[in-house]
Amino acid sequence: MRKYVPKDNVQAKAYYTDRFHVVPRVPREKVEEGSHFAEVVKAIGTDLKESYIEISTLVLHINPEDNFKVIKTLKERCGYTQCSEQSAVDYLAKENEFELFWQLLNVKEAKRVRVVCRLEKGLAIESIEPLFKSANFAEREMFDMFGIKVNNHPFLKRILMPDDWEGHPLLKTYPLFGDEFASWYEVDKIFGKEYRDIIGPENRDPAKIDIEDTKRFSRVGYEVPFGAEYNGEEEQGIEYSETALVNYNKKASKTLDERR
Amino acid sequence: MAQHQVNYASAAGLPIALTSVDKLVNWGRSNSLWPLTYGLACCAIEMMASGASRYDFDRMGTIFRASPRQADVMILAGTLSKKHAEFARRLYDQMTEPKWVISMGSCANTGGMFNTYATVQGVDRIIPVDIYLPGCAPRPETLQYALMMLQKKIRKESADMKKNTKQDLTTQTGKKRARLI
Amino acid sequence: MQVANKLSPFFENLNFERDDNTMVINFGPQHPSAHGQLRLVLELDGEQVVKAYPDIGYLHRGIEKMAENMTYNEFLPTTDRLDYIASTSNNYAYALAVEKLIGIEAPRRAQVIRTMLLELNRVISHLFFIATHALDVGAMSVFLYAFREREFAMDLMEDYCGARLTHSAVRIGGVPLDLPAGWLENLATFCDKVDYEVEHTYEALLTENRIWKMRLEDVGVISAEDALNWGCTGPMLRGSGIPYDIRKEEPYELYSELDFDVPVSDRCDSYGRYKLYMEEMRQSTRILKQLIPMYKESEPQLMAHAPQYISAPKEEIMTQNYALMQHFVLVTQGMRPPRGEVYVPTESPKGELGFYIKSEGEPYAYRLKCRAPSFFHTGLLQEILVGTYIADVVTIIGSTNIVFGEVDR
Repeated sequence: MRKYVPKDNVQAKAYYTDRFHVVPRVPREKVEEGSHFAEVVKAIGTDLKESYIEISTLVLHINPEDNFKVIKTLKERCGYTQCSEQSAVDYLAKENEFELFWQLLNVKEAKRVRVVCRLEKGLAIESIEPLFKSANFAEREMFDMFGIKVNNHPFLKRILMPDDWEGHPLLKTYPLFGDEFASWYEVDKIFGKEYRDIIGPENRDPAKIDIEDTKRFSRVGYEVPFGAEYNGEEEQGIEYSETALVNYNKKASKTLDERR
Repeated sequence: MAQHQVNYASAAGLPIALTSVDKLVNWGRSNSLWPLTYGLACCAIEMMASGASRYDFDRMGTIFRASPRQADVMILAGTLSKKHAEFARRLYDQMTEPKWVISMGSCANTGGMFNTYATVQGVDRIIPVDIYLPGCAPRPETLQYALMMLQKKIRKESADMKKNTKQDLTTQTGKKRARLI
Repeated sequence: MQVANKLSPFFENLNFERDDNTMVINFGPQHPSAHGQLRLVLELDGEQVVKAYPDIGYLHRGIEKMAENMTYNEFLPTTDRLDYIASTSNNYAYALAVEKLIGIEAPRRAQVIRTMLLELNRVISHLFFIATHALDVGAMSVFLYAFREREFAMDLMEDYCGARLTHSAVRIGGVPLDLPAGWLENLATFCDKVDYEVEHTYEALLTENRIWKMRLEDVGVISAEDALNWGCTGPMLRGSGIPYDIRKEEPYELYSELDFDVPVSDRCDSYGRYKLYMEEMRQSTRILKQLIPMYKESEPQLMAHAPQYISAPKEEIMTQNYALMQHFVLVTQGMRPPRGEVYVPTESPKGELGFYIKSEGEPYAYRLKCRAPSFFHTGLLQEILVGTYIADVVTIIGSTNIVFGEVDR
């Protein structure tokens, strides 16, 4: 039976995890009374689902429909005048939703706030571009990488990938090496589909050595003159030294059917 | 050391040198290789460094040109992304014959460390390459050496470009297929 | 007559036949003063830019995707290729983010060396900025002079880590190597040299240069409000009169102990930013000079002691069984930071370089987002280019000091 490979998350995974391994959590602190962050929490009021301080950043969990309102409050009443970063995290495999975050900066107080919300798959988020112009590019990047639609964005279009690209690369379902479309993209675009056979598939294996290629790599034990034609003969290992080189002659070794 | 008297008067007032057309043309071509400033990524900084004060590319007759129409060599310095591939091919097509390509750095050679969906796995998939230059990023000395190797290669070529067999765009299995140039 | 087909196409960059009498000009992605692979589609009315549309992504290599498929230590060399002009600042920003996540701190000597490398990289980056900016504006000799000094700085970096451009000189939890013999003397000489050259070469050539002033003064004006709104950081923000430097406001490493000024310019134009870069180089050498005695006082430990996350020194691995076991696990499986998320900003030469890391307790980061300053500075181009003349476009791009490695990632 073929080994089952999950399709919803094709990223690299740890091949071994100790049975008794308990993952600790980064300590979360409560918001102290009277601090700057306490005022922020107070200003947002009932829209807040959860708030805590994680590594000197105040994290505010909100509902996705309140994002514009909350960030407007943060900007106008709490002095968070810069949106440093905005993006998403893919949790589609586990919870069928994205986690969106906005990283805001208060220049006067030198404090940072992260607004976090969970957005279900297929839903759109309200653009904060009217508040922060920096969200213009950031939201386009989020759309490009995750396919999350943004309402009322002035120019929602792919930004990093080409306009005719298929798929959203940062989704967990998208493999690192790209899909079929990605692997032939430049050939299809420049030469046309009919040239796929001539150019050949991409080599994704960095350790691959081509036995017919006598120009670029030499194979230890099977050296031939530079540029010699490959005649399809079976490989004959040349024994240079019995001690220094491994004997590549397959006849001399025995392959076991089963592991002992 | 034997000394010979050269009679310039009898030789129409000119020193005479005899050579073949191939050698004369290749002498001219190889000693004034003008590369296209085609900086793509990190290697472009080393390409700039080799054009700047310490490494001084100008002494080899190498002057960077901004237009593909005036350039002989395309130095592909850096990662070629799939979005950019079309433009690389377009610039190559815009260059006038004879033209040569140096692929600078691991990314341009094979995709290098960026074994991802967005990078072209070796520029030789779209452009025939003359010199592959290893390193991440190659030092300016390496680029200078590559240029000297290219000069050496040009000196061996025929002046008639049609006679030269350019490296074909071969498949991964190494079988020679149709020429795409 | 050339016939366009798929194999030998011809494309025209200019489009004159438009109804509204404007001309659309395509700038890049291969343009000597596009600082990499910036493609700008400019709509011109006469010589004035009516609309600017920066098209980026020509250097997108999927670095954030790679981070999800690599262990934390594996990913570190990849960060070199973000801002490849000052690689160590990226290595450091990434290493600091992971260190904050796992809650460790580098030992004193490592901190001194890191701060030295960061400031050295700032000088390298600023020298590169002044070289290319001057070249774009038309002052070629500054390019040659600045690269002369930059090569000395590269020699210093090479002496330390062996690479000129892609350093990987910082590790998670410290630095891999101690400074080689004679390095500090060379550094002191280099500092004096930079101080001298900044005053007697670059500023002498440029500051009062009539052409330089005409090309830069009142070009690329960004108001303080716009700078904040568009996410400008670093010299772009300080060039608009907001004195925000992460080294001072949210100090990391040894910056809280060091004595330096944050230069601010309220001119808001390219000339003010140029002056700022020059002053920052002086401040960097000032910091470097203070660090030299600090190095001599520090203990020779280089990597933090945290056996769960960081391999023990080589000597211990070779002599102690438990250290070897830990090392084996860390090499084959990678470290497993606790579950949580972190965003750590650092002041890279270009601005605020931050890494957001979301960890689920796996050896691979669940999500890594690189907050690159140049990305937002490129976004700003669509605002500040409008209304300027086409000749100033190159000046403004040069003045924003964008690097495409970190714009596209």
